[in-house]
Amino acid sequence: MPQQATTSLFQAATSTFESLALLFPEQGNVEGAEFLPLAATVSVTYRGAGAGRVVVGVTAGILPALAENMLGAAAAPDAQVQRDALGELANVVTGNVLPLINGATAVYRLDAPIDAGNAPFGARDGEVRRAFTRLQMDEGEALLALFSHDDAAAPSAVPAAAAAGA
Amino acid sequence: MTLNVLIVDDSGVMRAMIRRTLSLCGIPLGEVYEAANGVEALEQLGEHWVDLALLDVNMPVMDGEELLTRIRASEEWRALAVIIVSTESSDTRLARLRAHGVEIVHKPFTPEQLRNTILQVTGLTHAAASNDIAVPSGDFDF
Repeated sequence: MPQQATTSLFQAATSTFESLALLFPEQGNVEGAEFLPLAATVSVTYRGAGAGRVVVGVTAGILPALAENMLGAAAAPDAQVQRDALGELANVVTGNVLPLINGATAVYRLDAPIDAGNAPFGARDGEVRRAFTRLQMDEGEALLALFSHDDAAAPSAVPAAAAAGA
Repeated sequence: MTLNVLIVDDSGVMRAMIRRTLSLCGIPLGEVYEAANGVEALEQLGEHWVDLALLDVNMPVMDGEELLTRIRASEEWRALAVIIVSTESSDTRLARLRAHGVEIVHKPFTPEQLRNTILQVTGLTHAAASNDIAVPSGDFDF
């Protein structure tokens, strides 16, 4: 199940980066890997058939590229718009990964994206990290994780660097 | 004929993307209004004539499903052409939404998907819209 969840997260993220932002990722190694510093992280909380959150973090090169490509801007939009673009991307990833993992009949409500805070890729109390993936692109890289409150059996093995906030 | 369009989405970036897509895909546009949630959308509907509404589902204050229910309960707006533009993938919820006579465009979407769905729900013909989608170099999907 954890591998399936990670595969689903990778599929949803890749599809979203490609079609929403015209960025074309490859899957990066997470075991024992060193992670680049992240410029921004956002979290989308979901509730309903299950509860949890999806976290997306990107390096400095990805952030302006996301906004430019999503909005068709000739110049990089300002920092707030760049963060909003990342939030919308995280929202779309979340909406697409949940049915891949939990089936198409489950109903969820997604909260608006928020800053993921400190140690964004570490599980909080009561959470289990069900999936973690790394996307590498020409512009930089992205890390994504899916946490849930409803699957105590799922392992939460997380590379130490990522758990610390990459 | 031009279409007055109301875009309802809590993401300003997504509203901008949809507005840009509309301007590129050859639909004869009149005024384009925006709202960040269902309450703002009802306020816009109280002030402007709208031919087509594009609604997100997950929004704060009032979500798209409740907004749609209120639109269909309204004497003035019950026949309004509505397209749901959302990441919503639940068959259960999509069936509830379709029962209100709407079409669904799943995010992420292509300009062609949005254009063809608009033509479908508004009854516009391809001849009434420009045949080509004016996609600037480097832009393909949204």
